[in-house]
Amino acid sequence: MSAPRPREPLAVRLLLIGLAFAAIALFLVIPLAAVFVEAFRHGAGAWLAAVSEPDARHALKLTLLVAAIAVPVNAAFGLAAGWALGKFRFPGRNLVLTLIDLPFAVSPIVAGLVFVLAFGRSSLLGGWLAGHGIEVVFAVPGIVLATVFVTFPFVARELVPLMQSQGTDEEEAARVLGAGFFTTFLRVTLPNVKWALLYGIVLCTARAVGEFGAVSVVSGHIRGATNTLPLHVEALYNEYAFQGAFAAASLLTLVALAAMLAKAFLSRHAGEEAP
Amino acid sequence: MSIEVRSVSKSFGSFLALDDVSLQVGDGEFVALLGPSGSGKTSLLRIIAGLEEPDRGTVHFHGEDATRRDARERRVGFVFQHYALFRRMSVFENVAFGLRVKPRAERPPETDVKRRVTELLKLVQLDWLGDRLPSELSGGQRQRVALARALAVEPKVLLLDEPFGSLDARVRQELRRWLRRLHDEIHLTSLFVTHDQEEALEVADRVVLLDRGRSSRTAPPRSSSRSPPPRSSSTFSAR
Amino acid sequence: MTLHGRRLFRSAGAFAAVVALLFSLHSSSGHAAGVPPDVEILNASYDPTRELYRDVNAAFTKGYRERTGTSVTIRMSHGGSGKQARAVLDGLQADVVTLALAYDIDVLADRGLVKPGWQTRLPHNSTPYTSTIVFLVRPGNPKKILDWTDLARPGISVVTPNPKTSGGARWNYLAAWGAALKAGKKEAEARELVAGLFRNVAVLDTGARGSTTTFVQRGLGDVLLAWENEAHLALAETGKGRVEIVVPKTSILAEPPVSIVDAVVDRRGTRAVAEAYLRFLYSPEGQQLAAKHHYRPRVPEAAAKAGRAFPAVATFTVDDLFGGWRAAQKKHFDDGGIFDSFFVNR
Ligand SMILES: Nc1ncnc2c1ncn2[C@@H]1O[C@H](COP(=O)(O)OP(=O)(O)O)[C@@H](O)[C@H]1O
Ligand SMILES: [Mg+2]
Repeated sequence: MSAPRPREPLAVRLLLIGLAFAAIALFLVIPLAAVFVEAFRHGAGAWLAAVSEPDARHALKLTLLVAAIAVPVNAAFGLAAGWALGKFRFPGRNLVLTLIDLPFAVSPIVAGLVFVLAFGRSSLLGGWLAGHGIEVVFAVPGIVLATVFVTFPFVARELVPLMQSQGTDEEEAARVLGAGFFTTFLRVTLPNVKWALLYGIVLCTARAVGEFGAVSVVSGHIRGATNTLPLHVEALYNEYAFQGAFAAASLLTLVALAAMLAKAFLSRHAGEEAP
Repeated sequence: MSIEVRSVSKSFGSFLALDDVSLQVGDGEFVALLGPSGSGKTSLLRIIAGLEEPDRGTVHFHGEDATRRDARERRVGFVFQHYALFRRMSVFENVAFGLRVKPRAERPPETDVKRRVTELLKLVQLDWLGDRLPSELSGGQRQRVALARALAVEPKVLLLDEPFGSLDARVRQELRRWLRRLHDEIHLTSLFVTHDQEEALEVADRVVLLDRGRSSRTAPPRSSSRSPPPRSSSTFSAR
Repeated sequence: MTLHGRRLFRSAGAFAAVVALLFSLHSSSGHAAGVPPDVEILNASYDPTRELYRDVNAAFTKGYRERTGTSVTIRMSHGGSGKQARAVLDGLQADVVTLALAYDIDVLADRGLVKPGWQTRLPHNSTPYTSTIVFLVRPGNPKKILDWTDLARPGISVVTPNPKTSGGARWNYLAAWGAALKAGKKEAEARELVAGLFRNVAVLDTGARGSTTTFVQRGLGDVLLAWENEAHLALAETGKGRVEIVVPKTSILAEPPVSIVDAVVDRRGTRAVAEAYLRFLYSPEGQQLAAKHHYRPRVPEAAAKAGRAFPAVATFTVDDLFGGWRAAQKKHFDDGGIFDSFFVNR
């Protein structure tokens, strides 16, 4: 009990590091690896057959279609929100800021039910639409709406604080130099948030592709018509078609991994944009 | 081109930032707007530039009422207190911006843009830094880019908001002498905001005092050897 | 910066192209075979019928094309029975519903989507096949679970879906209750048995398929209450030796009914196909397919033809013991019903 000992003995440090790695392996690596092991259990041929089977192809296309609508819509909204909320102060601004986060706070099932309530056959609006032969819930429009709702905050969340911290100095400088609104937006505002915008778009895309809960409520689960890829995975899993389920799941996992890589790359650049 | 501000008032919420301020800058004159921090100098400059609307009062350029004119059409050069350089553009593109965004009919061809920007960068002695980003420049260099950018559109009026505020004393002195020379060379009408009395006196033809939103007195500088002579006759005394 | 603007334009163009492509893919992918279908109908069904209707649809489509020259595409939507009824109420455009219990179709009739008296439109109460509730236990039946009374024993862990959301679970519940009555017990004793059973429930999934997965895949519980067909499917999928089926002496005659949804078929003009589709279920071929998938056919010979033997069970119906589904629903499963009291007291 004389010489002062290092605060964390080597053994403790090794143990902690080991634990961290074990946790990562347990919660991340093993489950992810399991998806691919299951997906390729019967070989690449079986995997290919599973992902190119008509229902799987349709689910993939539907998922891409939904993302191709939801992501640009929310990117546009996010930019508008970032611009309005980040660059201006107005009454009700805080309320809007809070509301933007609503889709994150609301449980996906509620998010789905809201649309069933609003556009379902028993609602006024839904009844009117049905009378005109327009299907919203249990059809592609409902899935798009639910996805837009759920992925609503991703871009806005990235842009509002950034645009707020960047202020309006550069826009004012551009205005004094004679630039119009759109010119200023395209040449000054947008380039200044380019990376953060892409970052938000990546998060938004990942979620739009992967969304299960809200979409499940409004989809109606019609095979080959309103099943998105995540719903297709669930349907196959429920039918004991594990290989097919995991083959489809491997596609979703690939999207997630790509999103993670893109995120890592973009977050470095997005950091540069903070003033 | 002369500037005239007539009885301008401006409040932010319940706070009266400018209270019945009037001010004249004659054609070719170099006027310093002197006042302590928070006295409304920036607000007044922004109103002249059209970035802010006055609650009451009018702004005239060359005798014409320009109060309702959009900032884009006032054709003033504005050098912002914190430069407000376009962070994603090179120094060259910063300076070229005003030329590139002109309406198609007035937009100079690319070769002219190049020539003009190079000239301006030479003028501010930064022609060797055209490819840099603003973040890669020193404070004094940024300041000069901001000035070159404002001058690119050949404004008749130059508004400078504490242009040397964040520079060290030596650079500051150098720059303000250089600015004065520039003003005389290219025949500008300049309004120069500062809270440094010495600076105001050294560089300007005339000094206007602003205190808590009121323009109190105008005075000729101590060394009033420069032309043109001040219009106002009231004398300046240090407070 | 003109560069920037141009790049933006170019990427906007590329984006528009991608969207256009997706739309074209989407619209061209309506029918996998490439031949546009003449008619498309949607069958909204409950969970355990996935395998049955895959075969039924293939057989019906083929026969119908041969008979009429019309090619039909039958789309499937599966989910908990109550949930599916709700979805049809909310606007799911199902031409036919093939649900777990009559009550779920009564709900549609109440709202005018299905004509009143729907259950008399097809033979056998509009129920082309029946099933019953059996037990799935661990290999060797280590807990000796043989009859309904065993489920309420302390220390038994039961897996069943939630009667609030799952039709199958309501059959489970009424099977336990009815078996007690059939064994000569009084109402209060039956109630005590069912209460004991639900005290023993380890996991309450929302649907029958979820419960099966819980029991078989996740290995939770000592006994799963399941449709007979679902139990056989689980047995086949997991391989022998992992689970065993125990058939109780007495159980309920589960009658999963079918109906066209009048409001939908009339709007879409699909009544003829939809009716032919449901009638096909009563045909020898349809009956044989039902038997193959362990649903008890209405035509006894179909079982033998499909190579299936169904063990004898003394069955009772909901009408026999509970005065029909509406009464059973109201007394047991509606908010404030008996089932709620078990969970409030838990
Ligand atoms: N947009 C604004 N909103 C609220 N108050 C403002 C705004 N702009 C300026 N002010 C207030 O007006 C007063 C004058 O500001 P300013 O013109 O920037 O003074 P100076 O440039 O002389 O330091 C200050 O008290 C400042 O807080
Ligand atoms: Mg200021």
